[in-house]
Amino acid sequence: MAGATESTLVSEDTTETEAVAAGAVGLAAVLFALSLAAMFELVTITDPVAGVPMVALLGGLLVLLGLAVIGFGVGSRLGYVATNPRPTAGLVASAAFALIWFVVGGLVASQTLGLGTAGWVVASLVTGGVGFAVSALPREDIGSTLPAGALAAFAGLVFLTGVIGPSWVWDLGWEQQASFNAEFTIPVLTGFCSLLVGWAAAKAYGGFGARGRHIGAYVLVYLNALSIIAVLFLLVAFTVLKGLPGLFNGFAFGAGAGPEVTLVGVTFSLPLSWPFVMNGVALLNDVNGVLPAIAGTIWLVIGAVLFAVPLGVGAAVFITEYADRGRFTQVVEIATNGLWSTPSIVFGLFGLAFLVPRLGNQKSLLAGMLTLGFMLLPLVVITSRESMLAVPDEYRDASAALGVTKWQTIRSIVLPAALPGIITGIILGVGRIAGETAPILLTMSGSVAPPGSQTVDVLGGFQFQSAPPFVTNPELMQATSALPYQLYSLITAGVGQSSNIGAIDEFRWATALILLVVVLGFYAVGIATRYYFRSKLQHE
Amino acid sequence: MNVLPNSDGAGLRAAARRGLRRGRDFVDETPPDALVTVTVAAVSLLAAFAGFLAVSSLTAVPFAVFLVATGYGWLRHQELTARVLTLTTTVSTILVLGLILVFIFAEAWPTVQYATVNVFGIPIPGLRLFIETRWSPVTPPIQYSLVPMIHGTVLVTIIATAVAAPLGVAAALFLSEIAPQTVREVVKPGVEILAGIPSIVYGFIGFTILSPWAADQFDIVGQGTYLFVGIVVGLMALPTVVSVAEDALNSVPESMKSGSLALGTTDWQTMTSITLPAAFSGVSAAVLLGVGRAIGETMAATVMLRGSPGLTKPLYNIFYGNDTLTSLIAANYGDADGLQLSALFVAGVILFVTVLFLSIGSQYIEARMRQKLGGAD
Repeated sequence: MAGATESTLVSEDTTETEAVAAGAVGLAAVLFALSLAAMFELVTITDPVAGVPMVALLGGLLVLLGLAVIGFGVGSRLGYVATNPRPTAGLVASAAFALIWFVVGGLVASQTLGLGTAGWVVASLVTGGVGFAVSALPREDIGSTLPAGALAAFAGLVFLTGVIGPSWVWDLGWEQQASFNAEFTIPVLTGFCSLLVGWAAAKAYGGFGARGRHIGAYVLVYLNALSIIAVLFLLVAFTVLKGLPGLFNGFAFGAGAGPEVTLVGVTFSLPLSWPFVMNGVALLNDVNGVLPAIAGTIWLVIGAVLFAVPLGVGAAVFITEYADRGRFTQVVEIATNGLWSTPSIVFGLFGLAFLVPRLGNQKSLLAGMLTLGFMLLPLVVITSRESMLAVPDEYRDASAALGVTKWQTIRSIVLPAALPGIITGIILGVGRIAGETAPILLTMSGSVAPPGSQTVDVLGGFQFQSAPPFVTNPELMQATSALPYQLYSLITAGVGQSSNIGAIDEFRWATALILLVVVLGFYAVGIATRYYFRSKLQHE
Repeated sequence: MNVLPNSDGAGLRAAARRGLRRGRDFVDETPPDALVTVTVAAVSLLAAFAGFLAVSSLTAVPFAVFLVATGYGWLRHQELTARVLTLTTTVSTILVLGLILVFIFAEAWPTVQYATVNVFGIPIPGLRLFIETRWSPVTPPIQYSLVPMIHGTVLVTIIATAVAAPLGVAAALFLSEIAPQTVREVVKPGVEILAGIPSIVYGFIGFTILSPWAADQFDIVGQGTYLFVGIVVGLMALPTVVSVAEDALNSVPESMKSGSLALGTTDWQTMTSITLPAAFSGVSAAVLLGVGRAIGETMAATVMLRGSPGLTKPLYNIFYGNDTLTSLIAANYGDADGLQLSALFVAGVILFVTVLFLSIGSQYIEARMRQKLGGAD
């Protein structure tokens, strides 16, 4: 679609005015970055930059930008700059400007001038009305630059004159106190104004009109996408940086470095020692670890998958292949979508009310498995159904024409063709439930920091007996820990209760990191599987 | 098979007759031992379920019978057994939803009854949960008011929606209409991974980084603000909005977009005047689902809020954070019993019903949009 509009209808050569407008956009971007830096306290607003106080610098740049944008609009209106604006800036922009100026007028009237309620309401309405009129009535070039540029210039002047200086504080005067200080307000105002002016300058760069709006909007949309990715990157990078020291505490690699294990009667030393992953929490440990929680998470996932996948795939097969489209399939679809959006804590409550009393009347691993299985179920149904629907009907018809039964068609044609989609769905679903805390909090939570001896061993726990229920497994019936729950309990327990963990902060971040690694590992595998199968489909 | 249009009773009777005949045909056509196997399996599974409900130690017996019967059926009459088994799984899926409804309502009932108020002589159960404003489960007068938590949930949800809706729709537009192929290949998995980060990790970062920062920045006594919980929850609801809205935008027929572009519009004009209006209902369904996610988000709120139920002063003070419905449950389930535990279930019922309505509403909107656009299925 993007290629369709790349035509020569628009003049290609860059004019001087376009260069100036592009410069204004760039300056706005610099200012925005500067405001972000101040927000994260990378630069302080009190320090001077090249001899100029930071606040004055920001204010000066804002005034400059504001005036430049206004100059652009006026120049275009007077015909000095060749543009093709619309008659008006449009209702959305006008409404936004009206709202912004309404707020500005109200704040200035009530806080700076100290007018009463009636006073600030009148002032707000007046400034809001003027803002609306200025943006809606004149031609687009004035309408979209003047209100934006004026706001930036006004904010710049406020900073320059010191009305909002480095020591400015606005106490909201509420019973539960809260106040705005300069360190927060100045960067936020600067960032907001630079966004607004950047948008106006981008419009000017495009010569207003349809093309100007296109560019103005694209700047904002690209910025949005960029910031989402930036936030993701920051979150992950931050957790990794904070968690790495704790994770690799006491890590050793080499022959005989690790603990002894016995496999099939042969005892040998592992070539690797990773205390955080191989230990529990104990008083005498050099490095405490989260082995019981890791084992708990693995068993939880296995249990949930064993429970939910057969049920979910079966249900998807029935509603896609056997049932006629009608009331019944609709009900199933609504029920699965309803289950999918049910809050996780409600699943926890359900497990507490339904499973816990029936499974030995105590929190247990099995209850946690089943609760997570209930959560996984709708996801499996939805993704399996989607990928089965994507199998072309020709496949089914061709198979049916060979005279085989319906179930044989499903088993040897539909399911294999839909398998990639189903597997991807399951992996992504597992990633989601592996990180869930709320359901297992209510159904299987054990001690805050379990020692290594409490690592669950489900396979070794089976016991057979002659009286009903014939098979028992105390390991399944015990409360245990899992990574998300362990992180939660580490946060809420505080330092006092878990005092046998030395560096509690390091331990917490390492737990968060290993949880993130486990969950994102599932996601990475799921997404990679999808790309793999998709590229295979495209090549064939 | 004509159904008489003028009488519902006749229609029902005809349907019943049809069902009966189909059933009789089925019995006639199926070999008797297959029929017996399937019946035994069904009955034993029902018995096992009943045994599980009744907390019987004999549950394993009918379940074993079920396993044996299906095993035999699988070997001898695979066609029929497969069909019955998949039907069973479908019914169990619906049953799960039903069980959730029944059990959390049943557990919630005692507190609802406790909070009955007589209005003009008519008892209205549960009204006191909503007209009092104090949550005081231990010190008398015992009151289980959910108003403070509903207030918290509403504030958090409003802030989260204000974050997730515009950013999410813009990102969906970007992914579906604007981004070049290579950029999309980076951004789309990025958004999915954002959905994958466990909520407790968000909560942990919020608790250790954001909350202290906010307390310092806004000069707040103590930590925990609805504002920042809302922002974090909005970030978590964002991927839901993006993916559903993107699906909706993608479902707008390419011919509509091309037709607009052929008139010489810019991409952006096509988006605002063709694609977005056509996909509007789908996009609003995405926002509804995002709201549902935000309402139900638990761990970030539990970790970041103060856990002391009460209304903020003034009511619109978002720089203070007491408790939401979800965090109330997560923080208090441990030492709650009796009526207090039941009150937590009431909170769960409110969450469940609200989110279920949002889900059904958004599905209805989506179905209507598909119908309007005349797309496949």
